[in-house]
Amino acid sequence: MYTIESAGLSDTGKKRKGNEDTLLVDDDIGLYVVADGMGGHRAGEIASQMVVESIRDYIKSFHEGKVTASAPEIADQTLSPAANLVVTGIALSNKVVYEAAKSNDDYNGMGSTVSVLYINDGTLVAANVGDSPIYLIHKGQIETLSVMHTVMAEHAAAHPAEAEQIGAEYQHVLTRAMGTETTVKANICEIPYYNDDKLVISSDGLTDLVSPEEILATATRHPPKIACQTLVETANDRGGTDNITVIVLQVHKHRNSEGKIKNLLSRVSEGFLRRMGARKR
Amino acid sequence: MPILTLKFKKNKIADYPMQKGRSITIGRRNNNDIVIENLAVSGHHAKIDAIGDGFVLTDLQSKNGCFVNEQLVTSHWLKHGDVVNIGKHTLVFAYQDGEARPEDAVGQADQTIVMDTNQYRDMANKSNSPSPDPPAEKSQVVGILSYLAGGEGEVTLTKKLTKIGKDASSDIVVSGIGVGQTAVTISIRPNGFYLSHVGGFFKAKVNSESIKDSILLKEFDVIDLGSTKLQFFTKD
Repeated sequence: MYTIESAGLSDTGKKRKGNEDTLLVDDDIGLYVVADGMGGHRAGEIASQMVVESIRDYIKSFHEGKVTASAPEIADQTLSPAANLVVTGIALSNKVVYEAAKSNDDYNGMGSTVSVLYINDGTLVAANVGDSPIYLIHKGQIETLSVMHTVMAEHAAAHPAEAEQIGAEYQHVLTRAMGTETTVKANICEIPYYNDDKLVISSDGLTDLVSPEEILATATRHPPKIACQTLVETANDRGGTDNITVIVLQVHKHRNSEGKIKNLLSRVSEGFLRRMGARKR
Repeated sequence: MPILTLKFKKNKIADYPMQKGRSITIGRRNNNDIVIENLAVSGHHAKIDAIGDGFVLTDLQSKNGCFVNEQLVTSHWLKHGDVVNIGKHTLVFAYQDGEARPEDAVGQADQTIVMDTNQYRDMANKSNSPSPDPPAEKSQVVGILSYLAGGEGEVTLTKKLTKIGKDASSDIVVSGIGVGQTAVTISIRPNGFYLSHVGGFFKAKVNSESIKDSILLKEFDVIDLGSTKLQFFTKD
């Protein structure tokens, strides 16, 4: 048994004219998404909204029994049903944006990042395309569950010695995005969660201005709603150069042991009373 | 890396070099990185964080505030030559000669763009990287569990989440008193392979230590659960 305390906030920041980030906090289906859109003439806004809506609609339909298991050609044997569901949602969502981008000159080249947390009984699935990070805070340590699909990160991973040579102008260049190609490969991981764990999803508008250590400190010190407000404020204080979006989740897991002991006691007393009744006869 | 020079009136007291990824705290108390013993300085007066390529100074709600170039600030991105005033002391922030400075990159594309593989190859060539191929698929590290007891041979960890327990539908079935239906799971995460406790009366042990939640598995770790002993390896 678990409950998730959730909060999310999206802010245009101080320099941009519009907000091309979209966020979703849906406690009913346990789905939390951040999408950072890109493309001229506010097409980024359209792209990130499409990504979030299509993923939510797909997973919601699954919960309502309207769609069954993942399409066989996308289902991956190394993934659990929950993870497959998220991967399928991302694949479908990518198609939606890709088709829309092709259909309209204004939307040409538009795309988005997507970072998803899907929480069900026992495990959570973390999936991402692009550079919006997902963090797990467990026992005072912060760990990145997402993989940065950026030129800098991938080059640094393959050639650690040359990472410094890539200029700062490549800081926001993605190697993968939603809607720019016919298919997309998301990074995915699935893990169990524990009482008091916290999760943070944000767009890079936050993490370009606030360090992981500060995110750890803020999410530990404050409940989700205040943590979101504090993080957005800090980013804006430091210039607010991009749209700032953040979701903070806190896990409250309740142990089953209480129920089990009560069960055991009632079974024992039931058996005892039955034997008493049998002897009396 | 830039250097912070602490001065009092015109006298230099000390140099503090910045380190990438490390925060520096400034205040009167001894547990700060830069200790300034002066009553005008608060116990924990300010901090400087390394974020991305830049350094940002943040006032920690000090009594007398922080000034940069004589302006009161709460948060400020430090530029070469900035003079920070804390109490009656000064900290001068300066990059070393010839060092690259983040403000040189300001004004360049701050829009997110997606690069296709041809562009990437051109760019990699320009930066004199020895291998022009884009690192499309990182060679995946494979995790393997080798039976030391309770079974034979090896199991390769192909799934993102591997379930180990008494339940017949587990990826690795382990028997024994007190072993949970799903006792532990092993997840493949960006940082590596993590073993996590899920359920069962007796907890699994890694190198003889009981595991109550999650642990990053290291090469040759031995996992003890019920009647089974498994050793963890990785292979490229």
